[in-house]
Amino acid sequence: MRTSRIKWHIIVFLAPAVLVYTAIMIVPLFNTLRLSLFTEVDQERVFVGLENFRTLFGDPRWSESFWNALGNNFWFFFIHMLVQNPIGILLAALLSNPRLRFSALYRTAIFVPTILSFVIVGFAWKLILSPIWGIAPEMLDAVGLGFLYQPWLGLEETSLTTLALISVWQFVGIPMMLIYAALLSIPDEILEAGECDGITGMSAFWKIKLPLILPSIGIISILTFVGNFNAFDLIYAAQGALAGPNYATDILGTFMYRTFFGFQLQLGDPHMGSAIASAMFVIILIGVCLYLFGIQTRMRRYQF
Amino acid sequence: MNKARRNPFNLFAAHGILIVYTVIALFPVFVILINSFKERRSIFREPLALPDGESFSTVGYETVFNQGDFFLYFQNSLIVTVASLFFVLLFGAMAAFALAEYKFKGNTLMGLYLALGIMIPIRIGTVAILEMMVSTGLVNTLWALILVYTAQGLPLAVFILSEFMRQVSDDLKNAGRIDGLSEYTIFFRLVLPLVRPAMATVAVFNMIPIWNDLWFPLILAPAEETKTLTLGSQVFIGQFVTDWNAVLSALSMAILPVMVLYVIFSRQLIRGITSGAVK
Amino acid sequence: MTALTLKNVNKSFGKVQVLHDINLEVEDGEFVVFIGPSGCGKSTLLRVISGLEDATSGEITIGGDVVNMVPPAKRGIAMVFQSYALYPHLSVKANMALGLKQEKQPKDEIEARVAEAARMLSLGDYLDRRPSELSGGQRQRVAIGRAVVRKPKLFLFDEPLSNLDAALRMNTRIEIARLHRTLDASMVYVTHDQTEAMTLADKIVVLRDGRVEQVGSPMELYNNPANQFVAGFLGAPSMNFLPAGLVGGASDTTIGIRPEHIRLSDTGRLKAAVSHVENLGGDTNVLVELADGTQMTVRLFGQHNVAPDEAVSVDFDDADTFHFGASGERLRDATVLATDALQS
Repeated sequence: MRTSRIKWHIIVFLAPAVLVYTAIMIVPLFNTLRLSLFTEVDQERVFVGLENFRTLFGDPRWSESFWNALGNNFWFFFIHMLVQNPIGILLAALLSNPRLRFSALYRTAIFVPTILSFVIVGFAWKLILSPIWGIAPEMLDAVGLGFLYQPWLGLEETSLTTLALISVWQFVGIPMMLIYAALLSIPDEILEAGECDGITGMSAFWKIKLPLILPSIGIISILTFVGNFNAFDLIYAAQGALAGPNYATDILGTFMYRTFFGFQLQLGDPHMGSAIASAMFVIILIGVCLYLFGIQTRMRRYQF
Repeated sequence: MNKARRNPFNLFAAHGILIVYTVIALFPVFVILINSFKERRSIFREPLALPDGESFSTVGYETVFNQGDFFLYFQNSLIVTVASLFFVLLFGAMAAFALAEYKFKGNTLMGLYLALGIMIPIRIGTVAILEMMVSTGLVNTLWALILVYTAQGLPLAVFILSEFMRQVSDDLKNAGRIDGLSEYTIFFRLVLPLVRPAMATVAVFNMIPIWNDLWFPLILAPAEETKTLTLGSQVFIGQFVTDWNAVLSALSMAILPVMVLYVIFSRQLIRGITSGAVK
Repeated sequence: MTALTLKNVNKSFGKVQVLHDINLEVEDGEFVVFIGPSGCGKSTLLRVISGLEDATSGEITIGGDVVNMVPPAKRGIAMVFQSYALYPHLSVKANMALGLKQEKQPKDEIEARVAEAARMLSLGDYLDRRPSELSGGQRQRVAIGRAVVRKPKLFLFDEPLSNLDAALRMNTRIEIARLHRTLDASMVYVTHDQTEAMTLADKIVVLRDGRVEQVGSPMELYNNPANQFVAGFLGAPSMNFLPAGLVGGASDTTIGIRPEHIRLSDTGRLKAAVSHVENLGGDTNVLVELADGTQMTVRLFGQHNVAPDEAVSVDFDDADTFHFGASGERLRDATVLATDALQS
């Protein structure tokens, strides 16, 4: 046996990926965590331990912004779970009917918003909802609901929910496709066995299909969670770095961006930025761990 | 139609819901596109009307072409996307092959290490990435973006490709070995061609997020000559925010390339998602 | 009473007609097997009976009621699928109970029926397991149990043994036969395996290209096939067919002779060369080639010392032969004798 011989080809195959991944992703990740323990005094980097976090959670000027952004972020996520996934499941369930014609056409069209950039999506909806252009009020007028119109993106109470719904509009294609795939993978014979047992229509959905697509719903939920907690682009494109009106749409991504780069009169602070990034890291890590150990292990993947 | 079992009304309702949602999905794109070809007054007077002889105008596009360097932005986006995809696929496939093919100490651990990045977004490390790019002089170069997107795409690429490479028959590779092929030849000549469909899936998955990203171009390469199309249109629209013709035209210009890519690759993309590659 | 009556049942998928004018009766308590090569429409016919497919025309009567417009669950049938089609997210018990719950049967009734089925199929120890934790044979028994608890007027089996290995297949076959005796239920069973058909059926229906070729008891079909297709389809090794001209018959007719009715003999009428020998221990199958190139299989009882390339003579009793016309139809003895007479 020559097991002790170094297998160079394995190293050659692994090296590029591991090097790039480590250098650009892992090292900066930990470096960011490390930077959050420093601050800058007279252009010198000095170690301050958890001082930045004490500021972030303790100093009312910071903590207010942080809790506001975190709360907004949870609301943003909540709207996604509440609206995006049910719509995605509904569309997928409709599309998976083998007798439905034009299914590929619907699928392709409904996926279009997902491929557009946040800049396009943000501005397009901003224009459509804008009171200046008047498409939204006019359309509501046409169905006699004109009195409902408000400049939703401009009001503190409604702007965050409106942006969340725009984001749902953009991304509903992803849960739709994943659930659609999961539904297609259920063998016909199981549904036919259900039919012989009298389980058809809605009860076939609730009693057979839904339990079988639960693992996919779990994956979609964690993908949504991670995506929402590092979201930035849509808010930035539609409302700018200030996440107006009056920070009503500020989420962790925009908060970190402002802190890191500075805005208006405040100077950028990479160390506080790192502290916020670390907080985001911990939140995402908790979410992923909850999913991996709490949800995924309990959900069975079914072998058909 | 099966009378005994299925209610035609259900199918009718299904079409109804899907048509409504399709309209909701396409309406904003449609409104932007038609209004970009209208002169200013018609945009406001009849936003939902198609451009006709009277209202037709390309004044917005003229502003876009005169004021913004959209061709350069487009070129930057293209270079960044193509180069990033190339490295993601090459490095990803190599690492996936090593993990799928060889039993070595730490194989599982290496797989887990590379899979970490699937769930943890690379944006968390932005502060340190910027610092590194500044100190290596890569800031405001397209290389900064290419490196970041390569690192971002690798975890999922390795994961998907190694799943597929495990399915390549051992007999085939062993036949190659008996014929005296080196491990490198086996990888490039025998295995890569067989996992081409999976490579295409990975490419399509990565293409859209790279093309559409705003965060890293904004932070790592905001200089005029390295702006991507996404950042370029963001900045342009911000400057011309009151010039509705220009804004609508710029949006249409930004929509066009992705739509073309989508039309070309939509089947691949949808097949990729539905094949369960991301489960 | 008849359990199932099919009257002029036709089925088309678009322009392709897959079932042609099927007429059939299944008596109460009868075990009927549909057999035929793949693509003959046997599974489609079963699905039409179950209601999973609609008949394009014709009438389906189950237990005296016309059920053309009745959904599967209300037809009084239960079906056992080829892939078992167990609900993967439910336990064995819940799999069996789901249909009853849907019918809103009282709880203790459900309990009792599940317990009874579990006892009958020895599933008692597995009631709380999920399908993925069971072996193939156990899954098959759960699938049968799910049908049994519904107390259907008619059981439908769609190639239920084809996913099992050979040994298990035999056990399960015996179990199904036993179940049929115990329940005294009417059953329709689809298979392409003639051993299953021969051993299980009271009545076999041979299908080809969507048409019924022959209906009858296993021995009827074996001893008295209606045409060349049925003759060749049932029996293993299958019947030999030779041009009748070789033994002095009419030139456009065919003679069929089963391998076990042929003997090697020094004075045989047909000269042949041995092309291959299969020694099975109990039997010996000798493949021979006649001078004109016709292949024949000779099945000999016991062990025989025959080697390839050996020249042999084969012979058979004319009483054991079947005669078929140019289009495969059976020529009854009278007609054959008449043509023979004309020839001589």
